[in-house]
Amino acid sequence: MNNIKEVKNEKLNESYFEIDHPSGLKILVYPKAGYASSYAMFGTKYGSIDTQFKLEGEKDYTIVPEGIAHFLEHKLFESEDLDAFQRYAKTGASANAYTSFDKTCYLFSCSGDFKGSLEILLDFVTHPYFTPETVEKEQGIIGQEIKMCQDEPSWEVLFGLLRAMYQAHPVKIDIAGTVESISQITADLLYKCYNTFYNLSNMVLCVVGNVNCDEVLSVADKILKENPQQKIERKFHREQKDVVKDYVEEILPVASPVFALGFKEDVKTPERTLKEVLCSNITLELIAGKTSALYTEMLEDGLINSAFDFEFFEGFGYAALFFSGESRDPKAVRDKIIKRIEELKQNGIDDDAFERIRRKLYGSAIYGFNDIESIANEMVASHFNGENIFSAVEVLGELTKQEVEQRLINSIDTACCSLSVIKGE
Amino acid sequence: MKINPELTVTKSKARVLNIKTDMFKTASLTLNILMPIEMNTAENTVLSSFLVHSTKDLNTLSKLNAKLEELYGAMLSGNISKFGESYKLQFSIGCIDDRLSLDGESVITQSLDLLLSAVFNPLADDSGFSQKQLETEIRLAVEDIESEINDKRSYALTRMLEIMCEDEPYGITRAEILENVKKVTSKSLLSAWKDLLLKGTVQLNVIGNIDKSVCEQKICAAFDSLTKREPVSEQTVFVEEAEDITEKTEELDMNQSKLVIGFRTGMKNENDNFYAERIMTDVFGGGPYSRLFMNVREKLSLCYYCSARLLRQKGILVIQSGIEKENKQKVIDEIYRQLEIMKNGEFSDEDFDASKRAICDAYKGFNDTPDGLDVYYGMQLSGEIVTPQQAIEEFMKVTKEDVTKAAKKLTVDTIYMLSGN
Repeated sequence: MNNIKEVKNEKLNESYFEIDHPSGLKILVYPKAGYASSYAMFGTKYGSIDTQFKLEGEKDYTIVPEGIAHFLEHKLFESEDLDAFQRYAKTGASANAYTSFDKTCYLFSCSGDFKGSLEILLDFVTHPYFTPETVEKEQGIIGQEIKMCQDEPSWEVLFGLLRAMYQAHPVKIDIAGTVESISQITADLLYKCYNTFYNLSNMVLCVVGNVNCDEVLSVADKILKENPQQKIERKFHREQKDVVKDYVEEILPVASPVFALGFKEDVKTPERTLKEVLCSNITLELIAGKTSALYTEMLEDGLINSAFDFEFFEGFGYAALFFSGESRDPKAVRDKIIKRIEELKQNGIDDDAFERIRRKLYGSAIYGFNDIESIANEMVASHFNGENIFSAVEVLGELTKQEVEQRLINSIDTACCSLSVIKGE
Repeated sequence: MKINPELTVTKSKARVLNIKTDMFKTASLTLNILMPIEMNTAENTVLSSFLVHSTKDLNTLSKLNAKLEELYGAMLSGNISKFGESYKLQFSIGCIDDRLSLDGESVITQSLDLLLSAVFNPLADDSGFSQKQLETEIRLAVEDIESEINDKRSYALTRMLEIMCEDEPYGITRAEILENVKKVTSKSLLSAWKDLLLKGTVQLNVIGNIDKSVCEQKICAAFDSLTKREPVSEQTVFVEEAEDITEKTEELDMNQSKLVIGFRTGMKNENDNFYAERIMTDVFGGGPYSRLFMNVREKLSLCYYCSARLLRQKGILVIQSGIEKENKQKVIDEIYRQLEIMKNGEFSDEDFDASKRAICDAYKGFNDTPDGLDVYYGMQLSGEIVTPQQAIEEFMKVTKEDVTKAAKKLTVDTIYMLSGN
């Protein structure tokens, strides 16, 4: 029997259904009235940072080549006869997949044959098929993908920064690995990773849009077999507090220098709470958001342009504030940001600014609820973090200025900072 | 739910496209203005950003942004892009629906007012636009154009089109625009802004839970004060057939080379044979079931991407691929082999059906987001409005023979390679 629970948010007037499927899979069904299309996302909590792991009861950690999670994502589309794309061509769905630091997701959107498309999705992700020949073919394609990314300054500057900040944590390795590391991947290693991380108890299925529980369950009941529950142990790389290097640079053909600046948080536990994440997001706006004095100053001084951005970057065992953009003088940007952080720590936060930014973040959270793609993405992410998609709107309403100030003081040490720069010749 | 676009034309020849629906949590308002590509090119480039960074009342960026934050993070943005041989300037604001505001105020009306105020009441006086802001805006525009080289894929496409359309207004180069942007003055900006409002082809797209009468009244009030408005329309040159093949290679220090091939499609205008052209492009190099993906990538393992795209407003088809330098000829040979298959109608019924299904499926989805609707109707700035449903009916009528016929008209014009190490 399926255990179905409805999860609601009154203010947003939105709701979805949470189902514990007998196979061990968590299924989230989010119907959107009036929508013609549907979006499905089948994700596993497994990404590029999972290079060392073991199952409960095993003695040693298994160590796998860098980039294997992404490689596995590419290979899963193949089967003994028709590959998944050829099967989707018969339903009209538009399909894709992606691998990030901490998850791998397979997805499609369609407005026609939803059940047929969902059947393909559940079937190919639960039926791996790897041979030495197909592994070899993929090394050529992914090799080109890696080279393409090496020409992208925004990608290179980010990984330059991560390598400068992190000593041991695998977040510093490229998601796709290197041409060298993927050459070590074999069919056997792919099966080892697959059997560990593609256990249904480590996965989630989210469907949004023109959908209902009965349709989804009829397909899930047909395709999914019960998986034995297993517990995965990920290695928690306890990072040192300090960064490895405070400055790194690389030469690539770019117009003005591209930079990424990171403030490393000294994390003592693997994961951050939603409240901590939101406090950090508010902090970022207060430091350099578009209404901050610092933003106007840097813009008028010619130090930043429309490419300037920031984010709170965090996952299992890592957290940092990132600022990025293009600048004729990245070191001056760094110095100004450091000064601004110290001032905020000293003087505290302005009441009006806090309220305005809270309002802005509330508005931003609402945007996501229009779009079935962003709902699905957000549901997968919040499920893996042990939250639900409505939590952010709820927690935002309860946050106090004092909590943000506390977080600002506790989480940012301006001495633990790295600057990564890509320059033209 | 019924999504029903209603089009009205104001006395001053501005079109208002209204899509009233309570399906979404947000609203999206976009003022589209078309100007001939060669008229005030540099000034229009600067205006697309200047106007959304201040207003006469909110005279600094931080005052304007504070207002946007109060409006629950409403997003005001400006953009400029080629639309055939016109430039399309888009001034947009997105905001949450009134039902979700915390103290019951109307966010949408205030956002529309702010958008109109940005465009119609800029930070300027009779002598010109604010000199102080202009200096920053020129720097931003220059850096924006210069930074295009950071994105190699898009840079290579732009270069190919510059070379291919050298003798057409469409081929205006980044270098030319860059030089002219540096010369923009507060006076020339003022005069270009007047031209924009008096001569531009205008359409306001309003999507969300707003009454039509409210928008019309506000738009009329804004435009009808401009008594001498006389929109100029630009006739885009459609070169139907390439005379000979231009080949050009440029070098850049990078890992992966970018190959871009430009074709003339034989289209006489943007509506000419469009539905068949669109399906042909998809069978050739659209989704993962297409000829190029299945062969250049999957079978020969030569690249990560190789795809075709139709530039409808100019009647050009482009193929883009990221490859190893030494594989250039191999990739071109394979693309030509696939082109012959297209021209001979040797693609399967399955390939044809797959493309038709995928395109229709995507069109059905346009009604599902304000952004999707905004983009879709932002392409229909003149003539009658075609809903996604009507377009699907036209796609369904296209036959395999129509697609073969469209492929037969393809002629290679330019082969451009941005060559890496």
